[in-house]
Amino acid sequence: MTNTDATVAINEELGSRDDMIVCDGVDKWYGDFQALKDVSATIKEREVVVVLGPSGSGKSTWIRCINRLEQHQNGRIIVDGIELTNDTRNVEKIRSEVGMVFQGFNLFPHLTVRDNITLAPLWVRKKPRGEVEQLATDLLERVGIPEQADKFPGQLSGGQQQRVAIARALAMEPRIMLFDEPTSALDPEMIKEVLDVMKELARSGMTMMVVTHEMGFAREVADRIIFMESGEIVEVGTPEHFFTNPTEDRTKLFLSQIL
Amino acid sequence: MSVEAQLEAAAKDLLAATKAADAVRPDEPSLSLRPWMRKNLFSSISSVILTVVFAAISIFAYRGVLNFIFSEERRWDAIRVNLRALFTFAYPESQYIRIWVTLGIVLMLTGLSMGLMKSIGQGFSIKRISMWFLSSGSAIIGGLILREPSVLKHPDGTPVLDENLQVIRESFSAAMGDRVWWWLGGLVALGIGLGLWFGFGELRRRTTFIAAIPLTLGFIGMFISTVWWFKWGHYGTNTAGDIIIEPGRTVAATTKGPWTVMWFVLVFAYIAGRAVFTTKRAATARASLGLAWLLAPFMTFFVILRDPALDWSHVWSTHIPMALAFIIGGGLVLWALTNPNIGEIGRLIAIVLITLALFHWVAGFFGWYPMLQKARISFLLLGLAGASAHNFAGDARQRSRMVWGWVGLMVIVHYLATMINTASTLEVNGEFAGGFVVTLYIAAFTMTFSLPLGVMLALGRTSTMPLFRILSTTYIELVRGIPFITILFFFAVFVNFFLPEGMELAKLAAAGIGFSLFGAAYLAENVRGGLQAIQRGQYEASDALGLTTVQRTSFIVLPQALQVSIPPLVGGAIGTFKETSLLSIVGIIDFTRVANSSIPGQTEFVGVKREGLLFISLIYWIGAYSMSKYSQRLEKQLGVGER
Repeated sequence: MTNTDATVAINEELGSRDDMIVCDGVDKWYGDFQALKDVSATIKEREVVVVLGPSGSGKSTWIRCINRLEQHQNGRIIVDGIELTNDTRNVEKIRSEVGMVFQGFNLFPHLTVRDNITLAPLWVRKKPRGEVEQLATDLLERVGIPEQADKFPGQLSGGQQQRVAIARALAMEPRIMLFDEPTSALDPEMIKEVLDVMKELARSGMTMMVVTHEMGFAREVADRIIFMESGEIVEVGTPEHFFTNPTEDRTKLFLSQIL
Repeated sequence: MSVEAQLEAAAKDLLAATKAADAVRPDEPSLSLRPWMRKNLFSSISSVILTVVFAAISIFAYRGVLNFIFSEERRWDAIRVNLRALFTFAYPESQYIRIWVTLGIVLMLTGLSMGLMKSIGQGFSIKRISMWFLSSGSAIIGGLILREPSVLKHPDGTPVLDENLQVIRESFSAAMGDRVWWWLGGLVALGIGLGLWFGFGELRRRTTFIAAIPLTLGFIGMFISTVWWFKWGHYGTNTAGDIIIEPGRTVAATTKGPWTVMWFVLVFAYIAGRAVFTTKRAATARASLGLAWLLAPFMTFFVILRDPALDWSHVWSTHIPMALAFIIGGGLVLWALTNPNIGEIGRLIAIVLITLALFHWVAGFFGWYPMLQKARISFLLLGLAGASAHNFAGDARQRSRMVWGWVGLMVIVHYLATMINTASTLEVNGEFAGGFVVTLYIAAFTMTFSLPLGVMLALGRTSTMPLFRILSTTYIELVRGIPFITILFFFAVFVNFFLPEGMELAKLAAAGIGFSLFGAAYLAENVRGGLQAIQRGQYEASDALGLTTVQRTSFIVLPQALQVSIPPLVGGAIGTFKETSLLSIVGIIDFTRVANSSIPGQTEFVGVKREGLLFISLIYWIGAYSMSKYSQRLEKQLGVGER
């Protein structure tokens, strides 16, 4: 890892903020295969971090370890001051603080869009129904599909479904949002509508960790880019540094393949 | 009108006309007979051969069936005389109004359900109806020609025999002459079919629909009206309890009034259902109708048909206070436990409740102090509900839902426990009734009880909790590995030897428990199939939102799993309905037993079995086929398999 002036500057700026996600020496195996090797990184409040890397590099595994959809074996993960351990109460607490958007949307097909959004705030946050219904209306407005509230997920396009999924995650009023390849399953003409919502979210000051292949989004929105390969963090830097002046050979190779 | 306006109007018309033309699907003309046959029956040499072979097979099969049904050896009056025995066996005739009230309740619920159905479809097209008439007409006429001529008889009814002591049959032309009424019927059906076919033009024939339900109700009405002029049959017991057969008295004499009332109940319930359908209350009505269907078997069986011999002073002094104590006390506890702010104290209360409940069971097992079984069960249920209460905490509306659920559960548990332990005033030979009624009720109870049990087992088998999983798996594999008849024998014959002293189980109840326990194991496997069909992403999304395991299961996993499992579940229900015939070999007088043992045991019909078995097969088939049709409709409505 090298520090250019820009990286130094942003690190200084970030140093004054609280740590939201701290990973320290995280290892993860699937059987004999090591998916994460000594991953250490700190993500600050209101920071947007984009994780890039070839497929199979461990990006998704890492992001899924952060709300314990996958369990890491070594190292520590501390989210918003709470360490992820086997204590289920900690896990539940962290999951209600961390919103997640999946590649395959994973909406609940038997519930209407509105019920998809209100379910968790009602039963997990125990909020009164009236307040939650209003929240759902507002969120659908925010992601640009207020007229779809009473439809079922199967009646929506992929882009609309993913926007509902974002609204569903936001309904829990999370402090952190994780995006696991949110646009990979979408047709090209729908990618933009989802990215627009994500950009708006980033501007509103949400702490975001995004695994994606959208280089344009990374360049425009990210505060920092983390490049991974074979389960390791190879390079960390600002978008400018990363796209114009990468130091590591593996990063250069990756960029030459995709750009 | 100005020229411009005229032009504009003309353009509008033209536009509308083209639009209408675009909207109509290009019509595919239906083929006339010869091209249709060429296309579907004789399209190639192999299809010609197959058509001929199968036509020959069906003709021979049809001839065999007809000769069997209309043979002079058949004793169809065994069915006619024993209709009442087949359906209710020895239910006391003086109490028969109870049967009619029960049937009325069932028909009322049926009518309401039909009226409130979300989509009743287009109905039957004229083309289809005319095809029915054409095919039944041809079937009758074909049957007239195919059936062998009747046996010649002496005036006293004995057959005329030739020198080899063989029966002599009349000539073909004489047989046709004897069957002139059948000819007439067949020709009328053909005539109606042809009239409908040619009376309606090509397009109208295919696009004119007759609503299915009113048509069915009309057919049922026509069938019921036959009791006013056709002598069916009757059967009963005399004052000494012996079976008497009264061929002279017809069912029409005693049941034409009730049957007519039944038809009107059905029709008015349907009309009422349609009236509610259009209002805003349709959803509420549908929900309460579902509840009514759930409660109907228990209410009609225990209260109406069984007429419990309740000791009212005991009811007021013990049963009702106890039920009220659990309803109110338990309701208050659950209301407190569903408060979102209760925190750790809630867990503590739940643990105390569970410990108390388990202590009661242990104490009961060692006989430390007596306590009514239903109090023990209620305590255990309260403990379980309390332990899961935090999952359903929320605002007042959500909290009251759980409390009301508790109230309903307690009412059902206490009601059932009291009723099962109360003798009937109508007991006849140890069992209060028999025949088709028993078949239906055992099937209904099995379906009601094995569903929750099966769902629990399926969840247990897929659970990550080792003890729960091992127990469920062991149970399922054990039950599935034992022949059902063994289990049934155990429950119907031997179970009373294993019960604690002073406790006795009626044979019917014991058999019902055996059915439910057995059915649950198979049902669990069907539900497990549904659980496995749920994508991993659903679990991940629920977890990522912070739902607890109980919430994930009850809001996300189970609703989807049950929806997917509808086809196998209905298959299981049909199986249960038919398997109730096994009751006949463990000494319960069910539908099959009446046909297989009771009727052949009557002096008048010694050994007459085939007619009865054919008749009950028809009734079983009607039941099973309607269930299958209903499930097809349900699948379509819920969109199973088309996500």
